[in-house]
Amino acid sequence: MTWNARSFFAGALALAAVLSGQAAEAPRHDLHLLVNLSGPGSGIIGRAGPARSGLYRSADRATFEHVGPHHIRMFHLTHDPRDARVVYVAALDGLLRSPDRGRTWRITTSWDMTEGKAVGFDPAQPAHLYLALPDGIAFSPDGGGTWERRQAGITRAYTNALVVDRTRPGRVLAGCELGIHLSDDAAHTWRRVQPTAKVTYDLRQSPHDPRAFVAATSADGPLASADGGETWRELPGIGRERTLHNLVYDPSTPGRLVLCGWGVGVQVSEDGGLTWADRSAGLPRREIWSVAVDPDFPGRLYAAPFQEDVYASDDLGRTWRPLSFGKATVFALGFLPRPAQ
Amino acid sequence: MKRAFPGLFLLALLTAWPGRGSAQPAHTGPMPSGRPEPEAFLRREAYLARRDEAVRWRAAQTPLASAGLADLAARLALRQDAAGVSARLIEVLRAPSGDMFWMFPVTCIAYLGREQLTPEAQAALREAWRTYHPLRGDTENHWVMYYSSMLLMAQLWPGEPGERWFNGKSSTEIAAEARAWLLHWMDLATTIGQGEYDCTHYIGEYLIPMLYLSVWAHDPEMRQRGRMMIDYILADFAVDSLQGMYVGAHARTDDKTVLERWNGLSSFFAWLCFGNTVPPVGYGGWGMFFAVVAQHYEVPEVIHRIATDRAGPYLHRERKRTRHRWRNSDVRNAPVYKTTWVGPDYAVGSDQGGLLQPIQQHSWGLTWAVPDPRGVHNTIFANQPFFGAQELMMYFTEMPDWMPASVTFQGKPTYTSEAKLLGGSPYEQIFQQDDTVIALHRIAADAPFIQVNGFFSKDLARAEEDPSGWIFAQGGRTYVAFRPLAPYEWVPIEGGGRRLRSPHARNGVILQPASAADFPSWDAFKAAVRALPLEVRLEPVPRVAFTTLRGRRVECAHGEAPRVDGRVIDHAAEWRLFAGPYLNAEVGSRRLELTHGRLSRVLDFNTLTITDAVRP
Repeated sequence: MTWNARSFFAGALALAAVLSGQAAEAPRHDLHLLVNLSGPGSGIIGRAGPARSGLYRSADRATFEHVGPHHIRMFHLTHDPRDARVVYVAALDGLLRSPDRGRTWRITTSWDMTEGKAVGFDPAQPAHLYLALPDGIAFSPDGGGTWERRQAGITRAYTNALVVDRTRPGRVLAGCELGIHLSDDAAHTWRRVQPTAKVTYDLRQSPHDPRAFVAATSADGPLASADGGETWRELPGIGRERTLHNLVYDPSTPGRLVLCGWGVGVQVSEDGGLTWADRSAGLPRREIWSVAVDPDFPGRLYAAPFQEDVYASDDLGRTWRPLSFGKATVFALGFLPRPAQ
Repeated sequence: MKRAFPGLFLLALLTAWPGRGSAQPAHTGPMPSGRPEPEAFLRREAYLARRDEAVRWRAAQTPLASAGLADLAARLALRQDAAGVSARLIEVLRAPSGDMFWMFPVTCIAYLGREQLTPEAQAALREAWRTYHPLRGDTENHWVMYYSSMLLMAQLWPGEPGERWFNGKSSTEIAAEARAWLLHWMDLATTIGQGEYDCTHYIGEYLIPMLYLSVWAHDPEMRQRGRMMIDYILADFAVDSLQGMYVGAHARTDDKTVLERWNGLSSFFAWLCFGNTVPPVGYGGWGMFFAVVAQHYEVPEVIHRIATDRAGPYLHRERKRTRHRWRNSDVRNAPVYKTTWVGPDYAVGSDQGGLLQPIQQHSWGLTWAVPDPRGVHNTIFANQPFFGAQELMMYFTEMPDWMPASVTFQGKPTYTSEAKLLGGSPYEQIFQQDDTVIALHRIAADAPFIQVNGFFSKDLARAEEDPSGWIFAQGGRTYVAFRPLAPYEWVPIEGGGRRLRSPHARNGVILQPASAADFPSWDAFKAAVRALPLEVRLEPVPRVAFTTLRGRRVECAHGEAPRVDGRVIDHAAEWRLFAGPYLNAEVGSRRLELTHGRLSRVLDFNTLTITDAVRP
């Protein structure tokens, strides 16, 4: 079966699943993927094959539309909390901003900020934008119009993850090379709240309890905080041997966490990370780049095994079906609110 | 004879016919003498003739219907068939790819074609820079290409709003950003050294954009800076060259050029600018984009002479820097301490060892002179094969686990191979005194490969394993004594030669070369080396005390500063930016002095002046 035929078949299956009544109403979010398609001659700086890498959007979770430029290194995306049409993507070029859902773009950063890794708004001060960079943290007071460095107090400033506390203005957590750092003053000053041996790759705030945060690390296992990021503990059952890429909350179900990483497969916890169930059986490999929980379809997961199709599961990972893409590295899976028509 | 005839006939036909598929005269022709040309007029004429040969060859290679950017640039440089070139350009621009490797060729075409391309082709060019989003890249050569191109294209289309550019920035913003980065890079390079230094291929990715700046920038400062950087980079190459071959150590080379020392893009520049070697096939590929504008650059006599006219052997030291370190390091750019010894028969070059660059580092080696370098593996060296996320995370920003494997399918297939002959190692420590190299290895138990590889060429005239523990070899007019410090075995290399494989964690190599002319016989050389005082201990750490053929007592221990004649060597204090008979610069100075005999040229980036002088 050709890629196109297989993709069509998989898409049709997925569409049928959607139409079969799982969702009584139209999804409120669109699925977005930041993809490097590494077909022949593709996926490398300075070369391009026929495949278009970059940002893909799916409204129906079955068919995917390429949005914006061909781009092989897009790492994280978000939207302006005031206007869901305004999309930001942290990428090799810095931070890209689209005011019109990807039709046009502007690189908001200059030569001195490269390879943006994560971007976050302060919901309480929605013009305030934070950008994680491989050499520190940048702050914009005007939605990316101007930038300044704000990383005082961080040594070994490689930063891969960043989350802004949605309930406490100016409170930011950053996952850096040697620890999780916390700022209470809009990134002016930082203190290390949790040392780590290597990089922290993901940080999330619970949608159910604003005091709860989780982190996925490279060599310190999965971490959790119950006090707004002040103190952290390692979640049991996973270990520290492997690099963890994502640790995400299920917005529909308190206590449910989904974890992935290199050689870790997909792990699901129903008790806030005390115990884990391996849900990798239906996936082609255990090297999982990213996972996401669908906010509009309870129980649906997405997983992106390295250099494989993106997979979906409607039963929390007990069974999986390929969705699309073929040989893909999906740097991030995310959901952005669908703007009002 | 019957079987040879069609081949000979075809060769003659291709040579005689200047059209498609024609042989490259210089590439297939005899080796040039390599002697300096004292007559300025003749030197210039020969340079322009070489440039003309390359451009005419390229312009005749491919029918217009399938012409690529280099073919189109060559035709524009010769002012051939502007209408046809315009039509083909419109087709080519429909499927842009290559990021910054697309940007600078298209910039070149845009400027060469300003008065030649049709309005439709000009419009297609303009549209391409709105719709195609080339990546900025992740390393120094990418950014040089990107920002030089952006500066020139913003200048070509000034005053345009962000909607007219792929990155959403206005022409004014683009020009300001590009200028700021270029100044930043030039400042780094002229104060603490280039990051991707002495590259056999990437030298082109620096020289070509600088040439474009020097020719096309409206701002006289950027033109002057471009000119000065060409001189700077070309002089850096000239002083580290032997018969036009770039000698190690290199920040980056490749699996081919590390063995066949001539076969890199750098040799195109040696051919064009110095006239002392033959060009690689296709004039080095990217070299064409220099050639088409090369008439606007004049090689300074002092650089020509540094490359071609040496009074005798010399020792040259340089300080460079690593490329940007993102993780696993407390410094952004660590210093690189280079030593190069160059004589008429051979050159030896080295850095201090360690992970100084990702993937393609070549830390030390000897290159011997040959009558004709084509196809010859004229080198001997050793390395500690290493790969891993530790190195890649230091120099790249991506997730750790996929990187080693991904490197192998991104054009570096040997990266994870135990047989690899490229790359640095955190377990390697190197010191060079004159032309003697001592490399020590203390390999961790969890290293990917606990071994040292030594390269022994198919082109060695002889190689003998001596009961003393030395391996004696001869390449060209060079005698080589190679001392493995631990037991080894031989592994044949596909394509010729053999690999010394020494699978021991405490290890090392001593290299002691000499010119054959310095000894009455082969046996006399061997006897002299055997007689050299040598103490070796491998436990608890590798440690060597060796008195060289030049009478210097060198003591090295892994993890300690080396000593020469009892004096502790302090790299940080002793290595200037450039130091030797031909190039001199202080760290932080932004000022390089080039000297040859009575000639001197000073490139002063503080005052943006080029000062030539002749000593009375």
